[in-house]
Amino acid sequence: MNVIECNQLSKAYGKFDALNLLSFRIEENKITGLIGRNGAGKTTLLKIIAGYLKKSSGELRVFSEDPFNNLKLSANTIFVDDDMNFPPALTIRQLLQAAGTFYQNWDMDLALRLFDYFEFNPNQKHDNLSKGKRSTFNMIVGLAARCPITIFDEPTTGMDAAVRKDFYRALLKDYLAHPRTIILSSHLLNEMVEILEDILLIKNGEKYFQMSIADVKEFAIGISGQKQIVNEWITGKEILYKKSYTLGNTYVVVRNDLSEAELESAKRKGLEISPVAADDLCIYLTGDTKGGIDDVFDRG
Amino acid sequence: MSLTEVNHWGIVKKQYKFKLKAYAGVFTSMMVVQVIALLLSLGGTGGSSGSSSSGFSLTTNSYSGSMVIAFTMVWAFITAILITTKAYRDDDFTFVTNRLTSNLSNMLFLTIASIIAGTTSLLTGYLLKVIVYLFFDVDLLISSSQTFSTLLIGLVATIMYILLFAALGYLVGVLAQLSKMLIIILVALFIGYPIYASTGTGIRDEPTLFITIGQFYQGESTLLLLVIKIILTVIVLFFTSLIITNRLEVKQ
Repeated sequence: MNVIECNQLSKAYGKFDALNLLSFRIEENKITGLIGRNGAGKTTLLKIIAGYLKKSSGELRVFSEDPFNNLKLSANTIFVDDDMNFPPALTIRQLLQAAGTFYQNWDMDLALRLFDYFEFNPNQKHDNLSKGKRSTFNMIVGLAARCPITIFDEPTTGMDAAVRKDFYRALLKDYLAHPRTIILSSHLLNEMVEILEDILLIKNGEKYFQMSIADVKEFAIGISGQKQIVNEWITGKEILYKKSYTLGNTYVVVRNDLSEAELESAKRKGLEISPVAADDLCIYLTGDTKGGIDDVFDRG
Repeated sequence: MSLTEVNHWGIVKKQYKFKLKAYAGVFTSMMVVQVIALLLSLGGTGGSSGSSSSGFSLTTNSYSGSMVIAFTMVWAFITAILITTKAYRDDDFTFVTNRLTSNLSNMLFLTIASIIAGTTSLLTGYLLKVIVYLFFDVDLLISSSQTFSTLLIGLVATIMYILLFAALGYLVGVLAQLSKMLIIILVALFIGYPIYASTGTGIRDEPTLFITIGQFYQGESTLLLLVIKIILTVIVLFFTSLIITNRLEVKQ
C-alpha cells in the first residue's frame, strides 16, 4: 500500500520554484532516504508532507488525505528536525510528558531509557541544550512518538560520530519492533545507507530517481586509467562524472548498462573497474558541473 | 501501524491544558503588572483635593482598583498579541494540531486567563483599601457601599472588559502575523489618528470615532446588555482571527 502518493507536486516561494512537478510514491512501512544537495527542496517537500506548508499545485495524498491543516494526519505524523519548537517554560522531562499526552502510541518507557542512556538532566530547558544534545532530544521525541509516519529532516545535525551511530541503530531497532513509514533526509548518505531500503534523490526540486538501495549500488561503475585510453573507451557511453588527475590519469563514472564484452575490452586495455559507493554516486548525479570544485580553481 | 483517530474537542482540551503549563510566564507577568499598579495606586487614584481655611486643613484622597484594572487590560492586550507570535504558534505544531484547534485552544486560554486576571485585579482593588486602612494614617475612611451583588456585577464587568482587550489583541496579533505592513497601518490608526484628531480645531478637536466606540461599551449601565455587547464583539473578533489564520503556513 502506498502511504504517500505525490503527483506533479509543485511549490513556489514567490518566483522561485522550490519543487517542480515532483511525482513519487512511498510504500507503507519502508525506510526511505530523501537525498539531495543543499537547496534541492528536501525540507520543503517534508514540510508539505507534514502539513506545515501548502502546496502550490499538483496532488499529494498521505493516507489518501490532503495533509495541509489535517488534524488526523497531524496526530499520525511527526516531523523532527534540529529546529523543533518547544515552549521554554517547561523542562525537557515535562516536554516528554506533554508529548505523551498528545501522541497515542507514545512509549514513555523507551523515551526515559534513551533519556538515561544519553545522560540528559531532566530539569534542563530545551533552549539551554547544546546543538548536538538538542538534536538527540528531538530524536528521542521522534522515536518515542511511534507515529505511522515519522519524518526526520537532517536529524543528526550537531551530533558527534558516536551519537550518530547510536541514533541510526536505535532507529533501526525500534523500526524492526514497530514497523512504520520513515523518511530520513540527509546529505550524509554514507552513514545511513545501511538502514535505508529506498532512495529518493531530488535535484533542483525535481525527482532524479527513486530506487532500492541495492539498485543504487549497481547503478554505475567507475573506470580509471590512462586519459587517452579512457576517452577512447567511453565514447558513446553515458558519462555521469569525470575527473582528471595529474600524470595523465582519468577517473570516469559511467552508467552500468554495459555488456560483458565491453567490460572485457576495458580490462584488456588495462583500465581499472571499480564499484561506485551509493553516496558518491548521489554526489556525482546531483553535481551541476562535470568537473566539480577543482574547476573553480583551475583557471589558467 | 494503524492510524490513530482523533476528535477536535479532545485535542483542543489537551492543548489548553498544555498551554496552561507552557504559558505560565503569562501569569507571572500579570502579577508583576498588578503589583506595580497597586503600588502606583497607593498615592491615591484620582480626585485628591486639599483645602484649608483659618485654623484647619482638609485633604481628601480616593483609592480605587481602577488603575489595576486598566493595567490588567493592557496586559491582556499584549499577552494576546504575544501568543499569536511565531514562537508560540510553532510550539503547537510540534505536537498534534491543526489551525482550528490551535486557535480554539488559544481562545479558551485567553478566556480563562481573562477570568483569572479579572478576579485578581478586582480583588487587588480591595487589597488596596485594606492597605490604606491598615497602614495609612487616616482620620476618616469612607467606603462606597458594598454588597455581594455589587461585587458580583463588578467582577463580571471587569472580566468582560479584560476579555474584550484580549480578543482585540489577538486579532491585532493575527493581522501582524499576516503582514508586517499591517503593523504600521495599525499603529497609524490607533496612535496616529487620535493625535491627529486632537490637534486640530473645530470639528477636528477630538477623536470622535474612538469616543463613540468607547461610549458604546463604557456607557452601558445594564450588566446584561454589557455582557451581550462584549460577548458578541469577542465572538466577531475571534471568528475573524480564525478565518485569517486558517490558511496560514507555519515553520517557514
